Amino acid sequence: MKQLHTFDEVFDAQKVFRRLLEAMANPGRQCDIRLQSEKLFGEAPDMLALAMTLLDASVSFCAPENPVLTEQIILLTHAKSVSPEQADYLFISSGDLLPTIIETAKKGTLENPHASATCIVKIPDGQTEQQVLLSGPGVDGQTGATVPCDIMQAIGLRDAQEYEYPQGIDYIFLLPESKLLCIPRLVRMEEC
Amino acid sequence: MIDKYNYAFLDEGSKREIRRSVLKAVAIPGYQVPFGSRELPIGRGWGTGGIQLTLSLIGPEDTLKVIDQGSDESVNAVNIKKFVKMCTDVPCTTRTQEATIIQTRHRVPEIPLTNDQILVLQVPLPEPLRVVEPQESVTKKMHAESDYAPIWLQLYESLIKYGKVTISSEYPCLVEDRYIMNPSPIPKFDNPKLHQAECLYLFGAGREKKIYAIPPHTKVVSLAFDDVPFEKESFKGKKCRLCGSTDTYLDEIFDSATGERYYQCSDTSYCKEVRSK
Repeated sequence: MKQLHTFDEVFDAQKVFRRLLEAMANPGRQCDIRLQSEKLFGEAPDMLALAMTLLDASVSFCAPENPVLTEQIILLTHAKSVSPEQADYLFISSGDLLPTIIETAKKGTLENPHASATCIVKIPDGQTEQQVLLSGPGVDGQTGATVPCDIMQAIGLRDAQEYEYPQGIDYIFLLPESKLLCIPRLVRMEEC
Repeated sequence: MIDKYNYAFLDEGSKREIRRSVLKAVAIPGYQVPFGSRELPIGRGWGTGGIQLTLSLIGPEDTLKVIDQGSDESVNAVNIKKFVKMCTDVPCTTRTQEATIIQTRHRVPEIPLTNDQILVLQVPLPEPLRVVEPQESVTKKMHAESDYAPIWLQLYESLIKYGKVTISSEYPCLVEDRYIMNPSPIPKFDNPKLHQAECLYLFGAGREKKIYAIPPHTKVVSLAFDDVPFEKESFKGKKCRLCGSTDTYLDEIFDSATGERYYQCSDTSYCKEVRSK
């Protein structure tokens, strides 16, 4: 029998979750999941590591215009592949797709704001970086950070939706070398 | 470690669901995220929400501390520690500084927590509006519309009737100017520790099937009127009979034989540490 990966569903998933929780609770902090991602396969092993940590048959996802990743996620997690506007988790591999997807992504309702989409966005290597200021829960006052340009663009797209809080979407960015950076819905990002 | 069960007792599907809910809770501070609370070998109301959170978080690199009413040695704390150790083999500690995960009932430790620590609170009644509205569907709508007039009225009535707000624990607070939240039955004394804290607070209510969170550096304001500020319990003129601390939350102990009243630190580990110095 062929072994596809060595990612441990119990211990590696726990480690990835703790890094993810740390990143979500401390927006702007980069958390490393390289060791766990290396145990998976394909062109986006870090996305698969997140999928294996968060997804199963009770949630839905969409990996727009990426049939290979879609097939791999279904194979590993049995999650349902649906259209972007219905998805609980969006796996976005290309920044070009962001504008149309963010416009239609689930934002939750005022009563059930948790029924919103989590957008997992892959940031390609070699991007120009820019200085930004972060503020909001999880950030100590206003904190400076250096982030790739694509992140600023994604935040701009989110802000353009003018969601009425608590509605909104949460971002998980996957930086080169399998680093996580999260920007939850309440956190603001401004150019310096 | 008992290996007949999955690591950390819960099956991976249950952990994943709780983990998804935790992430949403952190993203929406103070909002109660519903989750499918699992059966545990302990009755609901005995900390099952906190235990499920701890079991979903914990890994071999963690060190666990469990306290109940500030004490590391009470029945609830000892049994939870035994149970988690039995199904994870993680080391347990009584020193607050050594723990990465602290599960607690009714108290926030006296020693300020750091950014790499998670405080898991067991919550019996997560809904702060339950005292003014019995129906869940209505309280959900009230939260959605930020309709918090009835809870303000309750505080006002207390003020009119008794000359002060008489809520001693579960004192409601406003998180990031949006959600009114029940900080679990911690005394008012601990409410200020939630504001702009360094650590992550996770709240789990097993019976009520809710998870909510306060991330680090989050604005948490205890409800108060402009002309009647929030006041925590005062222990002016009293000190711990064991370590002599005057700035901690003190338990009152009454000796029925002599009629004497004693005070001692509710946080037993802190008290021991002060005495050992």
